[in-house]
Amino acid sequence: MSFKLQNAVLAGAVALFSMVGSAEAATTVKFWHSFNKASGEALNKIIADFKTANPGIDVQAEFIGDYNDIVAKLQAAIPANRAPDAVILEVTRYGLFAERGALIDLTPYFDTDPLKADLYDYAREVGVYKGKNYIVPFNSSTPVLYYNKDIMARAGITGEPALKTFADILATSKTITEKLGKDGITGIAAPGQFARWGVVMANDSELIDRKTNNILLDSPNTIEAYQWMASLVSKEKVASPDGVTEEDNGRDAFLAGKVGIMMNSTGNYTGSKKALGDKLEVRPMPCNKVCSVPIGGAGIGILASSSKEVQDAAYKFVSYAASPEANATWFAATGYLPINKKSAALPVAAKALATQPGIDTAIKSLDYAYGRARPPVVTWMRTTEYKMWEAMALGQRPVDETMKDFAAQTRAEAKRAGN
Amino acid sequence: MFRALTPYLLVAPLIIFIEVFTYVPILSSLNLSVRHWDFLSPTMPFVGLENYETLLSSRDFWNSLKVTTIFAVLSVPLRLALALAVASYLVRETLPSRLLRAAFFLPSVTSAVSIAVVFSWVFSTDYGMVNAALATLGFGKVPWLQDPSLALWVLIFVNTWKQLGYDVVIYIAGLQAVPQELYDAAAVDGGRKLHVFRRVTVPLVMPTTYFLLVISVIEAFQVFTIVNIMTKGGPAGATDMLVNLLYRVGFTLFDIGQGSALAVLLFVFLIVLSLIKSRVIGRKVHYEA
Repeated sequence: MSFKLQNAVLAGAVALFSMVGSAEAATTVKFWHSFNKASGEALNKIIADFKTANPGIDVQAEFIGDYNDIVAKLQAAIPANRAPDAVILEVTRYGLFAERGALIDLTPYFDTDPLKADLYDYAREVGVYKGKNYIVPFNSSTPVLYYNKDIMARAGITGEPALKTFADILATSKTITEKLGKDGITGIAAPGQFARWGVVMANDSELIDRKTNNILLDSPNTIEAYQWMASLVSKEKVASPDGVTEEDNGRDAFLAGKVGIMMNSTGNYTGSKKALGDKLEVRPMPCNKVCSVPIGGAGIGILASSSKEVQDAAYKFVSYAASPEANATWFAATGYLPINKKSAALPVAAKALATQPGIDTAIKSLDYAYGRARPPVVTWMRTTEYKMWEAMALGQRPVDETMKDFAAQTRAEAKRAGN
Repeated sequence: MFRALTPYLLVAPLIIFIEVFTYVPILSSLNLSVRHWDFLSPTMPFVGLENYETLLSSRDFWNSLKVTTIFAVLSVPLRLALALAVASYLVRETLPSRLLRAAFFLPSVTSAVSIAVVFSWVFSTDYGMVNAALATLGFGKVPWLQDPSLALWVLIFVNTWKQLGYDVVIYIAGLQAVPQELYDAAAVDGGRKLHVFRRVTVPLVMPTTYFLLVISVIEAFQVFTIVNIMTKGGPAGATDMLVNLLYRVGFTLFDIGQGSALAVLLFVFLIVLSLIKSRVIGRKVHYEA
């Protein structure tokens, strides 16, 4: 073998071993999330940037489905020892996992992290359960009211439509349905669960009291809000029942230009803008009795089943995901709220604010946005609410009776589960 | 010694497989059905028959049992009658018959999820093909999957469409086993087609009918995928069949104890149903011409 060939073989072997060495040195963090399409691409960019800055940590992200899917899969994965190391959890549903010891207390990490001072108060609050930090927020949102300007104009509604109270929204929806129903256009999309919570709050009530955890499903204002929402479908027929049995159908119809008004998360901003362009207009949620909106979205928690080394690596990622750079990228790409006070000043966010009208609507709602109760029973309540809503919206059961029954069941479940 | 053990060693892998994947889960379900557990709690306290009591006193359980029974009672005879009619036509060994057999069988081997997603769109109130076709005839929108009185019929239709091909193939095998001389004798006696079908074909394919009846009733009581994808048990519980309820209780409400109790009840119910069928119908089945 010639000297040159020997050198080449030796160099190759060294390179190979060094690659194997670095691959072994990397700590792998398995991360479950709920973002696909445009938001999935934005998340992948954040992960790629993180990997570049932290070559020793390999974040393996996996799209699991929506928030409900993640809760279901995580709950089954934990006893099977197949849980990930980090997971996106919706802000009202991580309490169950915190309560059962499945998530680690992030307070020791968070207290020494400069990030803590950079987060908005609301963003810090949503991660706290019983005085300890279990998630660090990633995608925060409030519901907002979207409408299609073109549909308004075609329905003869000129200028800015009145959409501040339930009566305003119903009147506008009726006009749209009456004028454009023959073209297959309906006034409003049946509200999804997050928007339903927002409508209840706009009627000066709650599903569960955020301070005392008392169940308020049968309080008069909650019932009144549900009566109004159900009437949009069953009595007034200004919303299609398609969006009741599958709430994404309502959103898809709005994006397809077949619905005039939609109440939905600000996280839908970019998708709506892409679909409707200049026809899209964004307004705050109605203030029927009061101005009050829920803070939604999710944060990232770290699983107790992972090793300390992996938990440390996972926290680095969690912290990076809430950093000004990552958060600015996320905000501009999706429309979710900025959670970091320094994000808005960064060029990518500043450009989005300057060029995408309406993206700041949710930010302006923050003065009256509130975190919601998150005891373990919320997971049960939110799962059961879909069935109750269907029965009311499709006119199968009276709202008053249904909400009272729902409240009684939720109280019994809370007692049974020891909430 | 080795020679004596050989048969046991040969069947051991299969027995172990059945033990691990059939009997252990059944016993595990029995055990979980008398406990409280939510997947996350470190303990599983013994609660006796509480899960069964809760289940049997819940409106959801009785609604699911009613819906599942209606589904089975309507869909099974429809499937079998249609399958026998189609099989009688396709039993001939011609090229079009063979092609049609393949076409009918195709849905049976197609993913149930894909079928359910496609039919969700076909029956969509606002954008579905069915309503579009009805609109051309001047009809208004029909909320197929939102109207409790229609949603179950849609599921029966989709399930029949999916399973028909399997039933047809089994019936064709049964029909091919009917001796030709019996038809010849009937022809000599001047029997009309319908008469021959009723007096010769139907009795002689009874073993096949009985087999399909047992299988399709069990299948009807275990239908899940199309329900979960198309209606999630809605609207307002109108299609909330037993396995969908089991899934909801066990895997979305995380009450594993109650979910397991429901699985045990379903298991017992199907065994009892099969025994009744064996007693009532099984005696009328003759396996020889």
